[in-house]
Amino acid sequence: MTDVTEHRAARPRAEFLHRFSLRDAGTLIGLVVILAVFGALVPGFFAERNLINILQQSSINACLALGMTLVIISGGIDLSVGPTAALSAVISASMLVAGVPFPLAIAAGFAIGLVCGLLNGVLVAYVGLQPFIVTLGTLSTYRALALIYTGGNPVLGLPAGFRAIFNGSLFGLPLAVIIVAVVALIAWIILKKTPFGEYLLAVGGNEEAAYIAGVPIARTKIAAYAISGLLAALAAQILIGRLGAAEPILGNLWELDAIAAAAIGGASLMGGKGSVVGTILGAVILGTMRNGLTLMNVQSFYQLLATGLIILAAMLIDRVTRGRG
Amino acid sequence: MSVARLQFEGISKEFPAVRALRDVSFSVGAGEIHGLLGENGAGKSTLLRILSGVYRPTAGSVLIDGRQVALNNPVAARAAGVAMIHQELQQVPQLSVAQNMFLGHPLTRGGIFVARREQERRAAQALAALDPTIDPAVPLGSLKVAQRQIVEIARALLDRARIVAMDEPTSSLTPSEFERLAEVIAGLARDGVAVVYVSHKLDEVFGICQRATIMRDGVVVETIDLAQVSEKTVVSMMVGRELAQEQHRSHASSEVRLSVRGLASATKVHDVSFDLHRGEVLGIAGLVGSGRTELLRLLAGADRASSGRVEIDGKGVKLPNPRDAIAAGIGLVPEERKREGIVPLRSISSNMALASMGVFAPHGVIDHSRLKRVAAEKMKRVNLRPFLLDRPIRLFSGGNQQKAIIGRWLAAGTRILLFDEPTRGIDVGAKAEIYHLIEELAAEGHSVVVVSSELPEVIRLADRVLVIRDGTVAAELDRADLSEQAIAAHAIPQSETQGRQAQGHWAGA
Repeated sequence: MTDVTEHRAARPRAEFLHRFSLRDAGTLIGLVVILAVFGALVPGFFAERNLINILQQSSINACLALGMTLVIISGGIDLSVGPTAALSAVISASMLVAGVPFPLAIAAGFAIGLVCGLLNGVLVAYVGLQPFIVTLGTLSTYRALALIYTGGNPVLGLPAGFRAIFNGSLFGLPLAVIIVAVVALIAWIILKKTPFGEYLLAVGGNEEAAYIAGVPIARTKIAAYAISGLLAALAAQILIGRLGAAEPILGNLWELDAIAAAAIGGASLMGGKGSVVGTILGAVILGTMRNGLTLMNVQSFYQLLATGLIILAAMLIDRVTRGRG
Repeated sequence: MSVARLQFEGISKEFPAVRALRDVSFSVGAGEIHGLLGENGAGKSTLLRILSGVYRPTAGSVLIDGRQVALNNPVAARAAGVAMIHQELQQVPQLSVAQNMFLGHPLTRGGIFVARREQERRAAQALAALDPTIDPAVPLGSLKVAQRQIVEIARALLDRARIVAMDEPTSSLTPSEFERLAEVIAGLARDGVAVVYVSHKLDEVFGICQRATIMRDGVVVETIDLAQVSEKTVVSMMVGRELAQEQHRSHASSEVRLSVRGLASATKVHDVSFDLHRGEVLGIAGLVGSGRTELLRLLAGADRASSGRVEIDGKGVKLPNPRDAIAAGIGLVPEERKREGIVPLRSISSNMALASMGVFAPHGVIDHSRLKRVAAEKMKRVNLRPFLLDRPIRLFSGGNQQKAIIGRWLAAGTRILLFDEPTRGIDVGAKAEIYHLIEELAAEGHSVVVVSSELPEVIRLADRVLVIRDGTVAAELDRADLSEQAIAAHAIPQSETQGRQAQGHWAGA
């Protein structure tokens, strides 16, 4: 009976923690520490312009990392996000250059992302191949298709009207940041409030048990990869809007940054665990590191080193604190 | 037995939040087989982990042959002559038997190359005394669980272990395999090894141990001479109260809820037909491998039937996957809870709601207040303890995990509940609760199928028993005809019945 009363007393706190987990709080502390360090070392680091810059620079990775988080939670991995984005980018771009109306060209880009994701999902869920191998294969395949389609050349000269769509700003924030924020909100709702979110966590947490409990395993997995593909396409649109051109080699190594952001944010590559809030914080941590180190004129070699160390540190802290959360 | 081979002296172990062991003292003599009994959470596993060097005690000491030993890590424990045989075998199935036996400290030539032949020769020597049919060169994965257990014991012999601790070694053995293992253990004892034997199965402990130490809530209740006490006394010592003997009451109606005709699978189930009534508890008995689990999986939609017809309330149903089976009102409480039952990281509420998401999210978004309400109601119904609905299910005991899985089907409005080994790995107190729950569910009009290897369990629960042999119904026994002998007589293939009596410990649960 004491259990019950204790439970009641602890309820408000538990509810708060339910919303904002201990793990996310840890990631937030990490971000605050990193911000403080750069704030002390770099004059003008906290200028509004620079902070907005950080968000803008983080937005593409955050977008991919959100999709990656869902896939990782389902127990999989999507290594093909960069090439998916590239394929989506060159197809949209060449349609735009050819004078196709913007909505149609953008829709085509999303359709490509969706198809790429669906193919990954079907190979994983129905054919039963390992996600790492499947997406390693499609990583090369999609990249090759983008290169073949363009002959290896960039698609240049996107119409200014299209560029304006993704380069605008709203309430003083770049539109790209707002779009990704909305995507993050949707992803959070999906994970916390929908059956699909529960299914993702269950499939990644224990596929066999989820199956016995009637969870539609294949549909859940395919949906995760499809969303990852769609978000890769969204990242592609944002990027070509910003650059005004689409290169077939665009998005090289994007998958690694996305995985890093998800992992820093608390996603477990074993599946069944991950956080939208954490992933966003993880993406901003990576963006902040890059921004701050660049402002300090640190050589890119060392930037790479710092990124690597941040990931390892996050995992070590995870390991040490596990079992208490 | 002047100096005990193994002596625990005032062992305490504290974890940040809990005190797992308090002042545990008892001793095991050379050549003694000593039972270690207690419910889950009583501290048996913690004590074994201290013995095998995984944990270090907060206070107290371990003495081997009268000398205090520092068991700071598993390697040190092994060097001190302690061998652990785990419940879930810690072996590498892809490697050969010999490689597994020398895992971690291979024999080498010149410190570089593994001396494979020599390893196999010595492995064969160690195995010869136990089970000469095991070939040290074959991959370990090709052996049966019982043989893998023997390999583990042979490994202990190789290490010249003076103390062998066995944690639930028989949880998946058949009766003849258990007998073989019991002989092997007796052999170890004859050679002067001290054996610490942890098991939930009292009849086994009574069968092979001389003395036993009973633990409850981290302390030793008593060390007893098993010849002097009854099983009933032991159980009440373990639980700390008397467990009431329940009388069986049938709630079966004449109304047929589930009708199965000619059900067969591609592999293990051949032509099974039976009816299940409303409010009935139907027991299914049979040896391990007779097709019991496979039959349940067909009914739960987890595997596909190759032929046969299933009707619910007179209407034919198709069960191509669990989702459709659940929609038809069938839910499976699987045997291997960890593998097929729970999603360990998720909360009790989430685990409960998994099978009825459609109910909790009628418009696509989960109604969390409703989910909480239903979870509170169902978990109260199954008497979850501690009553923490947001806590990850992995932190609960096996019995409470099982209650949550039962709650899952209650929330889903399931009318036909299939239990596969409902109390495997569950301690005595929770066992009685699960039995009670099953009976209440039947009384409420649920139809229940219970597959169990423990005959007393089947007899306790079932209104009627189907005995399965070689994938088909060998006999149907009414309540009046139920006895362990009657079930065993039908379950065991004819060639095997001669010369072997039905044992109390049955096809080990």
